[in-house]
Amino acid sequence: MRELQAVLQDWEAVIGLEVHTELTTLNTKMFCSCPIGFGAEPNTHVCPVCLGMPGALPVPNRAAIESIVLAGLATGCEIMKRSMFYRKNYFYPDMSKNFQTTQGPVAFCMGGNLDLEVSGNAAGERAVLAGTRPTVEEGGYLTSIGITRIHMEEDAGKMIHVGGTDGRISGAAYSLVDYNRCGTPLIELVTEPDLRTPAEARLFLQKLRQIYLTLAISDCSMEEGSLRCDGNVSLRPRGATELGTKTELKNMNSFKNLHDGLAYEICRQAEVLEGGGTVLQETRHWEPTAKRTISMRVKETADDYRLFPEPDLAPYDLTDEFIEAVRARLPELPDAKKRRYIELWGLPAADADNLAGQPGLSTFFDEALTLCDKARPIANLLLNEVSAHLNANGIALAKSGLTPQGIAELAALLADDTISSKQAKEVLSLMIESGKAPSLIVAEHGLQQVSDSDALEAIVLEVLAANPDKVAEYRGGKTGLLGFFVGQVMKMTKGQGNPRLINEILRKRLDN
Amino acid sequence: MHLSVKDVRGIATYARIGLSDEEVEAMTVDLNNIIESLKPITEYDLEGVEPTFHPIAGLSNVMREDVVQSGLSREEALANAPSQQEGQFRVLPILGDGGGDR
Amino acid sequence: MTGADYSSLGVADIQAGLAAREFSACELARAAFERIEAEDEHIHAFLETTFELALKAAQRVDEALGEGLVPQQIGALAGVPIAFKDNMNQAQTHTTCASRMLKDYVAPFTATCVSKALEAGALPLGKLNMDEFAFGSSTETSSFGPTSNPWDLDRVPGGSSGGSAAAVAAGFATVALGSDTGGSIRQPASFCGVVGLKPTYGVVSRYGVVAFGSSLDQVGPFGKTVADVAVTLDAIAGRDPQDCTSQRIEARFSDFLDAGVKGTRIGVVPAFLEAKGVEAEVVHATTEAIAHLEELGAQLVEIELPNAAAALAAYYVIGPCEAFSNLSRFDSVRYGYREDGGRDLGEQYEQSRAHGFGPETVRRIMLGSYLLSSGVYHMYYYPAQQVRTLITQDYAQAFEQVDALITPVSPRAAFKFGEIADPTSMYLSDIFTIPINIAGNGGLSLPVGLGKTSGLPLGVQITGPQFKDENIIRVAAALESCYPNIARLAPSLGEKRARFEGGVR
Repeated sequence: MRELQAVLQDWEAVIGLEVHTELTTLNTKMFCSCPIGFGAEPNTHVCPVCLGMPGALPVPNRAAIESIVLAGLATGCEIMKRSMFYRKNYFYPDMSKNFQTTQGPVAFCMGGNLDLEVSGNAAGERAVLAGTRPTVEEGGYLTSIGITRIHMEEDAGKMIHVGGTDGRISGAAYSLVDYNRCGTPLIELVTEPDLRTPAEARLFLQKLRQIYLTLAISDCSMEEGSLRCDGNVSLRPRGATELGTKTELKNMNSFKNLHDGLAYEICRQAEVLEGGGTVLQETRHWEPTAKRTISMRVKETADDYRLFPEPDLAPYDLTDEFIEAVRARLPELPDAKKRRYIELWGLPAADADNLAGQPGLSTFFDEALTLCDKARPIANLLLNEVSAHLNANGIALAKSGLTPQGIAELAALLADDTISSKQAKEVLSLMIESGKAPSLIVAEHGLQQVSDSDALEAIVLEVLAANPDKVAEYRGGKTGLLGFFVGQVMKMTKGQGNPRLINEILRKRLDN
Repeated sequence: MHLSVKDVRGIATYARIGLSDEEVEAMTVDLNNIIESLKPITEYDLEGVEPTFHPIAGLSNVMREDVVQSGLSREEALANAPSQQEGQFRVLPILGDGGGDR
Repeated sequence: MTGADYSSLGVADIQAGLAAREFSACELARAAFERIEAEDEHIHAFLETTFELALKAAQRVDEALGEGLVPQQIGALAGVPIAFKDNMNQAQTHTTCASRMLKDYVAPFTATCVSKALEAGALPLGKLNMDEFAFGSSTETSSFGPTSNPWDLDRVPGGSSGGSAAAVAAGFATVALGSDTGGSIRQPASFCGVVGLKPTYGVVSRYGVVAFGSSLDQVGPFGKTVADVAVTLDAIAGRDPQDCTSQRIEARFSDFLDAGVKGTRIGVVPAFLEAKGVEAEVVHATTEAIAHLEELGAQLVEIELPNAAAALAAYYVIGPCEAFSNLSRFDSVRYGYREDGGRDLGEQYEQSRAHGFGPETVRRIMLGSYLLSSGVYHMYYYPAQQVRTLITQDYAQAFEQVDALITPVSPRAAFKFGEIADPTSMYLSDIFTIPINIAGNGGLSLPVGLGKTSGLPLGVQITGPQFKDENIIRVAAALESCYPNIARLAPSLGEKRARFEGGVR
């Protein structure tokens, strides 16, 4: 098979995504008052409604409807006041009623879009095409991805297939069903086929995830399955307008898998087409370890789900008050946040993007900024030292014991040269360890750096006097010796000299 | 004839009801008779008439608050299960996919 | 108290007797079971009796009485023996829907209508026979054998709530609950000579009642008198947070029993009386009832319901489609009949459903499955819901002119077992009741004596505007006063049975 880059020279890939997101931050299921939860003992979060007991009736969760409206507003969708739930009828044992309650032709949210800024390596997969605008950055471009709809539905339960290989369906002796997850509120976002490269697809999903996290409607864990993504992909020769036959790709349960699965599938289709074959309309399963997609099911005819309006649920006629109340809850979204960080606080674009995409970190950042206006040191601390610490220890910021006050104080100490960045790392780990305020730690451990220029000047002169040969060598052109002098001064200050000042003084003395 | 024997077999498969050949034959006769009696529906001029999916006019936006209430215990949930194992409902293995678009 | 003494009592008689300490609630419960044990082997109204539960409820009522409370303070149905159609969940009892599919199913929760009746102090006698999953008009499709009409054991009690009607007619239960999707309360009430009311869709919660047609189903009471039905409806009506379609009900129906019909406008539908297949005795009885209403001071208005004729067709689209989907949950996984002989889950489904469901149920599921399939949906289902709009408008316009309508309930009196074998002919027995379900209005079947030809009970149907079911109560109570109460004749069942001794059954 040819490489993706090469394939995309000849073929245009047309990609659409379907993104299912469980509203994990809610308390209860979509149509009953059972708690939402992971990891509970099987069939302990169930009731007559989510077990589909005869006679049970659904009642929708208001907070779930608010969440989907929030998602729609955040992705530029039109909020449809009038919509209905429908029954999608098909038999599957993890779906207790053997129909899924979902929405029909009109969803709560219709016709939105997300703008993607594709740069760096990600941009390399796509030559700049019509409909995209080059960005300032070399080789990057902007593109807008249409969102067809976001609709509200319910999740199914979970099954374990026993007696087969790897817990897969094929060859199993029997299956066990747990309905704890059955009825969990689920929103499904469907994009227009506007994506052209696996990198764009990955970027889209990352951006969508950042938005959902910012809205706090889901924990968006691809690992635990609260964020799931299927892709539709087809190829057409560059310049062609007619769409090719598409395949549906499943089991892409990480950003990497989404990218790699789509990339593989594009190359596979190209090989089929270039060999004179035809692409079958089928569902394919991405196998990350084998790095290939395999056919699950060929669709000969369109599925017939016997969709009809759910008579047990009243239709929706959302009021302006309802929609406006949700709109009022809309937080600042990642794009706006990024712009603010760049324009108001002078952060580099990459840092601004990075912070804005992490709601926990950016909230922390914004809170710290109210106490100390040194945006760059705060951002640096959060994106580097704090993030590294959290990642290394696998803990969440909220549970780290760190406070915006502490980080603000630490940044202030850095900014006014009380401590060096090396010392800041030390202070930070002591903060996490002890929970003490940075100023207290600095005082207790005598960590403040020597920034008294007179005192440093005296030490510098002492060092220069003690090494006349080296001074001569330096002045003879061996400027690399500066490091040696800095080291000597540091040694004499027991590592607490302000490196910036030491450099400054040394240069002044040596260069004159 | 609205439905052939083959159609009826297809409908039975979809509805997950195993019918014998004789039952399919008899069902084909019955269904065709019933469908014939539905003719009045097809003869109406319904241009511009809104459907009534929900009989209570103006009923809309019925929702509940997001508050947990106690459901069934695992024992109650499984009490009517024809087959169970390790607190779960046990079924024969699934052949093929048929799992919709999940 | 003997079973015979008990069987003629109405709700008011029971409350008066309890208040006067003429009998205790426990004695009532025992008398009810004495009656059931003596007679139900001939009727087969009950699928399950719950003597222990009834006695426990009776003890609670007696304790409260002992503390000096009067029955009405304990609850609107204090001490009133009641029985429930077996599609209503009641914790600790079976809910079989008269189907092999649910033969061993024990409900883990209680339907709202049942719990409301029990909270009102009613004594639960048991669960009543019905057509399987309520698909039928004769109770012959029950997997556990049919119920006999107490007026003639060779005849059907009607259906699908045949057990409910028969239990009240036979004097087993003072009141009973049934459900009505296309006439399933009103037609059996008419066949058995008792009062049966299907309220407006939304008056009574459907939570816990096994669904047939979700947009058509409505729960309602049976009783010997309009008063008994009104007081029972008062107890079970109202908004239930577990049923989105249930509504807040302001009216107290029993307040309208004595309001009379003087000055009211009552609609008659000539087209219904002239319809093909309506027996002369039904036309006669209805005409007589109309005349009574006029004598009582009502003003009669002729009404046209031009689209009602299409209601039957609309019903046999909408009902099966909803039923197909509602009955998909019976898949042998979480509950219900299972056959394990298959190789895989697909065979487990197919065999369990083929043998768990009876033929009429299979027919409806198949019909619904076909009608909802893509392409067909727009030929039948969608237009049927549009026709429903037209029918609803017909009724709305009619009720701009009148306070209530009076029509026949059924084209004929109770038929014999096996007399109607063809499904499409059977479906015709509901032509006058179905339009009301399609429009969502309420309707009541009032006994108006015995047919001139058949000698069997006949009923007339009183219909009211949506959510004005008090109009129905008012008109029915007034009209009721013009007839001897044949429902209270039920104690003569023993003698009547003597007439049928040596009969074939």
